[in-house]
Amino acid sequence: MDFTEFATICSRLEDVPGRIDMTSIVRDVLEAADEPDLPVLIRFLMGRIFPDWSQEKIGIGPNHVYDAVAYVAGKDRDAVVREVNTAGDPGRAVEHLLARKEQTSFFTTPLTLGEVYGDFVVIARTEGSRSQKEKLRVVRRLFGNASPLEGRYLARLMLGELRIGIGEGTMRDAVAGAFGVSAELVEHAYQAANDLGEVALLARKGPDALAAVQVELFRPVKMMLAKQGTIAAMLEETEYLAAEYKYDGTRFQFHKKDGVCRMYSRKLEEVTDAIPDVVAMLAAATSHDIILDGEVIAVKDGRPLPFQYVLRRFRRKHDVASHIEEISLVPNVFDIIWIDGETLIDLPFEERRKRLEKAVEDFVAPQLVSGDAGEIEAFYRGALEEGHEGIMIKVPSSGYTPGVRGKDWIKIKPAVDTIDLAVIGAEWGEGRRANLFGSFLLACIHEGELIPVSKVATGFSDDMLAEAYELLKDKVISSKGKTVYFEPEVVFEVGYAEIQKSPNYEGGYALRFPRLIRIRDDKGVDEVESLALIKERFARQSST
Amino acid sequence: MLKATIDTDTFRETIDVIAAMVTECRLTISEQGIRTRAVDTANVAMISLELDQEAFSSFLATAGELGIDITKMKNIVGMMGRGDVLSLDLPDDGHKMEMVFSGYKYSLTLLDVNTIRKEPSMPSIELPAKIKISGAALNDAIKAASVVSDKIALGVDPAANFFYMEAEGDSDHIRLELGKDELIDLVPAEARSLFSLDYLKDMGRVMGRADEVEVQIGIDHPVKFRFGIADDNGRVEFLLAPRIEAD
Repeated sequence: MDFTEFATICSRLEDVPGRIDMTSIVRDVLEAADEPDLPVLIRFLMGRIFPDWSQEKIGIGPNHVYDAVAYVAGKDRDAVVREVNTAGDPGRAVEHLLARKEQTSFFTTPLTLGEVYGDFVVIARTEGSRSQKEKLRVVRRLFGNASPLEGRYLARLMLGELRIGIGEGTMRDAVAGAFGVSAELVEHAYQAANDLGEVALLARKGPDALAAVQVELFRPVKMMLAKQGTIAAMLEETEYLAAEYKYDGTRFQFHKKDGVCRMYSRKLEEVTDAIPDVVAMLAAATSHDIILDGEVIAVKDGRPLPFQYVLRRFRRKHDVASHIEEISLVPNVFDIIWIDGETLIDLPFEERRKRLEKAVEDFVAPQLVSGDAGEIEAFYRGALEEGHEGIMIKVPSSGYTPGVRGKDWIKIKPAVDTIDLAVIGAEWGEGRRANLFGSFLLACIHEGELIPVSKVATGFSDDMLAEAYELLKDKVISSKGKTVYFEPEVVFEVGYAEIQKSPNYEGGYALRFPRLIRIRDDKGVDEVESLALIKERFARQSST
Repeated sequence: MLKATIDTDTFRETIDVIAAMVTECRLTISEQGIRTRAVDTANVAMISLELDQEAFSSFLATAGELGIDITKMKNIVGMMGRGDVLSLDLPDDGHKMEMVFSGYKYSLTLLDVNTIRKEPSMPSIELPAKIKISGAALNDAIKAASVVSDKIALGVDPAANFFYMEAEGDSDHIRLELGKDELIDLVPAEARSLFSLDYLKDMGRVMGRADEVEVQIGIDHPVKFRFGIADDNGRVEFLLAPRIEAD
C-alpha cells in the first residue's frame, strides 16, 4: 500500500464523526489490504508503530520533526515552530509547510507503508554517538518524499498522536467485520497476543486460528486492572470472594525460561536490569518456565514504604548495585498467566491460584477466601494496619483478562478520590518558578483521543516541579502565549474534591480542587481515566 | 574484485568530496576506474564523481558495486599520513575491504548495497550561462554570503557582462560582481537563481581546493558545478536544486 493511500484513509476518517461509520470504513480498508501490509496498517491507524508488547520505541521528539521539516521545506526552524504554534497541531503545520516549500527538489520517490515502517524500525534501532544525526537523516528522507497530506500523518505518527479517533474498540470491531469473525474472539486473541496487527492476520485465517492463540514468553501481556467498588455489592453478585492486600508498590510481570528472566513494568517496559535483586528472588522461587503477575513493594523494618521508593528503583538505569542495599524490595506474586507452554488466562482464578501455589515456593501473596462480609472487613482493616493501601477482592471464577478494567477485580481503599490523567499542556510558572512549568493541563481518554478535563497547579513540592519540568521539557510540541502543549507521555495522579459538570473543558466535566498526588511514570497515557469512567464517577457521587 | 594502490592525498580528496553530500553511497567499480552518483536525503543535491584508473598507481578490478559508509571512511582517511600510499584489496564476493596505510591494516566491513538508495539518474538540463572561476574565490563568496543570510542568489547580467552573487539578510545585504577579467571565463546569458547556503557551504569547502570550477546557471533553475580532482584524472559534478523566491 502506498503511504499516500494511508494518508487519504486517515483524512477521510478524520472527517467522519460517528464510530459506526468509522468502523465500516476501517473494515473495508482492512478487507482490501494486502496481507503483508495488514499488521502495520492496523497499528498505524491506531497511531501506534510497534506491537503493544514490543520494547521498541521510535524516540522521535518534536525537535527532530521540526528540524527535518525545516531542512526539507527550506525554512528556518523558527518559521516551523511559528507555524506549529499557529496551527496548534504539528500535523497541520507540517502539511502547510510542505505545501509551500521554498526549497525545490529534483524528484520524489513515492513512499509505501512498508518502507515508512522500515524507516521507523531503522530509527528505533539506531544507537550510539551518531544516532541523533542518523535519525534526522531518515526523518528528512521521509519528509523529503512526502506529499503535504502524507506529511500531516507522518508527523503525527512520529509524535505519537494520530488524532483520527481509532481506538482499540473500533479496531477490534473492524477486524471482526472484515474477516467475518466475532468481536469477542478478536478481543480474546488480542488480550493474549497483545498486538491487534498480528491478531488480524489470524482473523484472516479464521476463527480456529484466532481461538488457538497463546500467550508467548517475553511478549508481555497487558496487566489485568481493577475498578473501585464495595465488599457488599460484590457479595451480592458472588457467593464468596478472594481477598488480597492492595500493595502500594509497582506492578510487574515476570517471565522466565530456563535461566533467562525478564521483568516488565506496568507499561510493559523491560526493567530487568533495574531490579536484579527481585528478579533473582523470583528466579529462585520457581523451577518452571513461567509468567507471573505481582507487585513489588519496598520494605523497611517489616513495614511497607510508600510507592515512590519502589519507583525510584524501577527508574534507575545506572549505578544499580549501590542502591540495592538502601531499600529492600520484595515481590508479591498474586497471579499466574502461563506455565511450561500452557496459557492459563482462561482458567478460573481459584484454579490459577492452585497452580500458582504449586509452582512458586515463595513470595506468593497471602489470600483470604471468604463469603463473610465481616471477615473480609477485618482483613481490610488488618491490611491498613500493616501499612498497605487497602485490599483487592476478586471473583474466584473469573479468567485473567489482560488490559481490562472489569468488574472481576475490585479495589477497596480509604475514600481518597484520585484519578490518573495525561499531561497535555502547561503554563509557565511565575516569580521563583518562572523557569519551570507551573500549572498543568490534564486530559482523559475517549475513543483513543485525549480530551482536556482539568488543570492542576497545587500539591507540588519544588522537587516535584523540577522533576515534572525535566520529564516534559523535550516534549513541547507548540506554545501559545504562556501555554505550551506536550507530546502526551506523562501521567499525573490527581486528587480532587468532586467532579463537576463544566463547559470550560471539552469533556464537559471538571475536577473541583485538583491537587497533584504523584507522577505516575509507571503508567502510559493509554491507561489514563476514560471519559466514560469520569461520567460514572460523577453519577456515583450524585447518587450518594 | 578490487586490487589497487593510490596516493593517500588523492584518496582523501575523493572521500571529502563525497562526504560533502552523503553519508553513504554505492561505489561502482569497473576496469576503467571507480564512479559514484548519489543524492542527498532531501533529493535537493546530487553528486556525480568519476575517478579514472590513471588516478591510481596500480589498479586491477572487475565490475561490481560496493556499499560504502562515507562517515566511517572519513574517519579512516583522517588516520592516513600525507603523501603516503594506500592499498585497497577486496576479494571476489568479499564483504570486507582491506585497507593498508601508514603501518595500519584496516579491515572495513562494506554496507549491503540494497540498504543504500539507488543511484539517481542525473537530470540532463541545459544551463545557458557558464562561468569559470577559481575554487578559492567561489568558496570565499559563499562564506561571505553565509554571514548575512541562509540563501544566495547566483546570476549573470549579460548586458553588463558580469557574474554576481547576492545575499539578502534580515538587516544586511552583500553583493559581489565579477567581470570577465576577474574570472577565468564567462559565457554570458540572462540568469538568476536562488540557492540554500546550507548545501553550498559544504560544497564550497571542497570546491575551494580546485584551481578551476565551472558554474552553470539559468533562470530559477538548478546550478551545476564541475571541477577536476586527482590532477584531472577525476571529475566531479555537483547539482543543487534552486529555492523559490518567497513573498
